[in-house]
Amino acid sequence: MFHHPLVTFFVAQGIPEQTVLLLLMLPLVATLVAFFRQVIGIKAFGIYTPSIITFALLAFDPNGIKYGSAMFISIILVGMVTRFLLRNLRLLYLPRVAITLSIVSLSVLFLLFIGAITHRTGLASVSIFPLLIMITLAEKFVATQIEKGSKTAFILATETLVISIVGYFLVSWSWLTDFILAYPWAILFTFVINVWLGKWSGLRFTEYFRFQKITHSL
Amino acid sequence: MFDFFKKSQNLLGMNARNLDYIRPYNRKKGMRIADNKLLCKRILQKNNLGVSSLIAKIKTHEELEQFDFTKLPDSFALKPNRGFGGGGIIVVYARKKNHSDAWIKANGSLITTDDIKSHIRNILDGSFSLSNIPDIAFFEERLKLLKLFKPYAFKGIPDIRVIIFNNVPVMAMLRLPTRASDGKANLQQGAIGVGIDLATGTTTSAILGKGHVIEYIPGTKLVLSGIKIPYWNEILRMSVESQRISGLGFLGTDISIDREKGPVILELNARPGLSIQLANLAGLKSRLKRVSGLKIKTTERGIRVGKNLFGGEIEEEIEELSGKRVIGSIEKVKLIGKDGKEIEVEAKIDTGADSTSIDIELAKQLGFSEVLAYFKALALPVITSREEGQTLHASLLDQYSKSHPDLADITIIYASNGISIRPKIKLLFIMDATEISAKVSVTDRSSLQYPLIIGRKNLGKFLIDTSKK
Repeated sequence: MFHHPLVTFFVAQGIPEQTVLLLLMLPLVATLVAFFRQVIGIKAFGIYTPSIITFALLAFDPNGIKYGSAMFISIILVGMVTRFLLRNLRLLYLPRVAITLSIVSLSVLFLLFIGAITHRTGLASVSIFPLLIMITLAEKFVATQIEKGSKTAFILATETLVISIVGYFLVSWSWLTDFILAYPWAILFTFVINVWLGKWSGLRFTEYFRFQKITHSL
Repeated sequence: MFDFFKKSQNLLGMNARNLDYIRPYNRKKGMRIADNKLLCKRILQKNNLGVSSLIAKIKTHEELEQFDFTKLPDSFALKPNRGFGGGGIIVVYARKKNHSDAWIKANGSLITTDDIKSHIRNILDGSFSLSNIPDIAFFEERLKLLKLFKPYAFKGIPDIRVIIFNNVPVMAMLRLPTRASDGKANLQQGAIGVGIDLATGTTTSAILGKGHVIEYIPGTKLVLSGIKIPYWNEILRMSVESQRISGLGFLGTDISIDREKGPVILELNARPGLSIQLANLAGLKSRLKRVSGLKIKTTERGIRVGKNLFGGEIEEEIEELSGKRVIGSIEKVKLIGKDGKEIEVEAKIDTGADSTSIDIELAKQLGFSEVLAYFKALALPVITSREEGQTLHASLLDQYSKSHPDLADITIIYASNGISIRPKIKLLFIMDATEISAKVSVTDRSSLQYPLIIGRKNLGKFLIDTSKK
């Protein structure tokens, strides 16, 4: 496989190839999220959460989608149930999130335990950082629940998962990774795309649906 | 398909709103005013625009501890200073009887001083402010619901959103709180949005929540079109003035009407939502484009331009030419009862009927029960044929026409289901802002859809457009 001299140089200096690759892929994932928001109209939890969840999914490989999504969904479900349980206590924001995070992390531990006793070693032995990333998702989710309501939070969480899964497939597309390692300068092209996205004032794809009922009377 | 995309060019989307209107026209200074309710209230008040008055504000936890809750009035609204989308607002209607520390909320449930305190702590901690920055809580006087809106609003106060661009009102909508929106006039939470004709201030089409087109208030027979918003010119004037004062070039002004104070500005919105297009079945982008670049020097000129460009012009032209009002086949009518009692109903405009006819129950409500009881007690002959009726009519009139002060006339109706003798009463009613005095026959219409039909005799001042709603 052909590597660009620059990539070879970095690797020779002791930077792991995987790290170089992921850092080069981040602009692509971020651009993907921006595209989803501006052109398609899928919001998700901002740009950071879907990007980072994409890489968390990657860290669950070789069963990234399966275990990653399961983890994601469990965390959201636990977050929802916890909110329901804590509602009548009327707690202030940070203590409430602290309790939610605690319950989420205990649940994750329990999930890993289930993975271990059912011999799903891929799940049980996953490294701690993707798990922590996933757990911080709970804060984002709780904050959105308080600000915009459970329904919106649930929709945004689903959108985040969808974007992250698309991002996962993009980043694990071997043709693309080979291409980026061979021509790392190509990622500069994302600047062009983002400038274009930043000036795009057309209707979003979802808005065509939203306004569909009235287009005939315009 | 091509047509669809072409028409979509009239619509304002999120991207264009942010990029082409908010970014260039709403500067930081204006945004600061819009996002700070207390500051906004102060500035508007200084410029003599109506706002609801401030009762007290709480800035810190210490102030909260020292705050004397017994000094609060019996009804008030508690709001976060930097709240958005109606979040974090509590409205109480009255103090609970025999309790010094409990109030009754809009939905009838109780709220204690401790509940209010914990809510204020949440406000101070920023639970309801944009990006959770610490906030100020304040109490302001509760607005009182206008009688006109009473049947339309569920436990809350409707408000009117007017979009202003370049000193011209470009689109407006009336927002009605519903059960689903929990008394809040917020479309995202399921309130009703009703489009308004800018020239006349009359409502047109309506949507429920995020975009379900409706004609009636769900579960009722109340038509949403044809509501005449009171103080319409004043509302437009306040909206345009608030743009001058705030300097926000692309502005959504929210105005409510208080029963005593008249129109008051609730808040200024620097990022007005896009659903107003659905409520009006019209695109904002094309309207904004028509207005941009115009030189509008005075408020009056701005209002005139808005009315001329975006009002129901055709109908007005016909009204001007013919000197007659244009009405639809169903109209709202305000009936004036004997003792001045006003009842608003929907009436069917029936060009097939000779005279106007009213339901007996409705007539009783209007104070005519006495004459109706009197008429019922009369020993009236049974009529079997048209000829008989014609001869009898004259003698009936001779005998009874002046026998009771409220009995204006007696009429014989020849219908397919038989011949009947009906009393007529003299009734004053207002239709499309025109006052009409009519002799109205009274009958049982309880099985029919409309309690009132307006017949030919009383339609002389109108033209009827059957496509009008």
